[in-house]
Amino acid sequence: MNVLVAVGEFLVLFGSAFYFLSTLGLIRMPDVYTRMQTATKSATLGSLGVIIGAGIWALGDGGSVAWLTKTIIIAVFLLLTNPISAHTLIRAAYKSGIPLWEGSVVDKYREAKARAESGEEEGGEA
Amino acid sequence: MVKRLLAILVLLIIGYWLAQGLANVPFGENKMLVGQYYLDHVKEQTGAVNAVTAVVVNYRGFDTLGEVTVLFIASTGVAALLWRRKRKRTAKTKGSVVLTTGTKLLFPFVILFGAYIFIHGHLTPGGGFPGGATIATAFLLLYMAFITYEIPHRGFEATEGLAGMGYVLVGLIGLAIGGYFLLDWVWQTWGFGHENLGRLFSGGFIPIIYTIIGIKVGMELSGIVDNMLKEEVSE
Repeated sequence: MNVLVAVGEFLVLFGSAFYFLSTLGLIRMPDVYTRMQTATKSATLGSLGVIIGAGIWALGDGGSVAWLTKTIIIAVFLLLTNPISAHTLIRAAYKSGIPLWEGSVVDKYREAKARAESGEEEGGEA
Repeated sequence: MVKRLLAILVLLIIGYWLAQGLANVPFGENKMLVGQYYLDHVKEQTGAVNAVTAVVVNYRGFDTLGEVTVLFIASTGVAALLWRRKRKRTAKTKGSVVLTTGTKLLFPFVILFGAYIFIHGHLTPGGGFPGGATIATAFLLLYMAFITYEIPHRGFEATEGLAGMGYVLVGLIGLAIGGYFLLDWVWQTWGFGHENLGRLFSGGFIPIIYTIIGIKVGMELSGIVDNMLKEEVSE
């Protein structure tokens, strides 16, 4: 049992815990936007933990460095693309008129759009 | 209601029938006949470490040629079905800044990864078709993020045709050198790559064919996406 294996196992466990929390959030949260937040944030963190953890685990278990290299590439790719996809999904959801949770207090985006009123609907930097 | 019940009944009967047929097939037992031959001889006969691509390109090259033809016909068919004299992209909503910037950043990497997949077809899982699909995904990403983007048609369609011709040409070179169509002349006749099995420069003509197929499939699927995204404009 060397250190790398222990670190890898810990990271995988950590990531799986975050996966679980993310799924829990999907069930517990009231509306699309909060659900998207739990789904993307904790699922991204969870995948980073699991993926990099698997690489480190393989390194400690006698696998080649190729594992770690590939897992790092995948992790960076996920880290860069997951927020973009989440942003796009949420923006599309807002634009197609899905309402916020009835308990939410402030909707600056709609206020700004109402103020701009005519044209320039797409101008909003979301 | 009656219709649905009837459909469920028929499906259940068909499922039971299939299950009965499959019940006699011994799963998990070794019953390879031709498969054993492939596994035993793939390295010295084709130079590929990936047995699947060796089978697909080398042993059964005709099937792959047929698949490429099917894709080409699909692309041509979509183009013919949707043909109008005046067609334009009519999308009005541009992607947000985050999306467009991300797409600009990601596009070269997606292309690079697609190229990696089809160049390493003889070593890693994948090959020409997944690589080509990945490249088409990159172009789909551009189409989704930008409202004015259009693939350069002239170049794309010419490349597609040239790649298809390249495949047939490689097969014809095999016919000229070794005696039959789609013979792996790089490996069988030249003996290129015999000493570095499992490295990039091995695998006979599998990397060549898969590069051609990858380019072709990428261009074709991008063309299909382009055709489907454009609408007729009346002027």
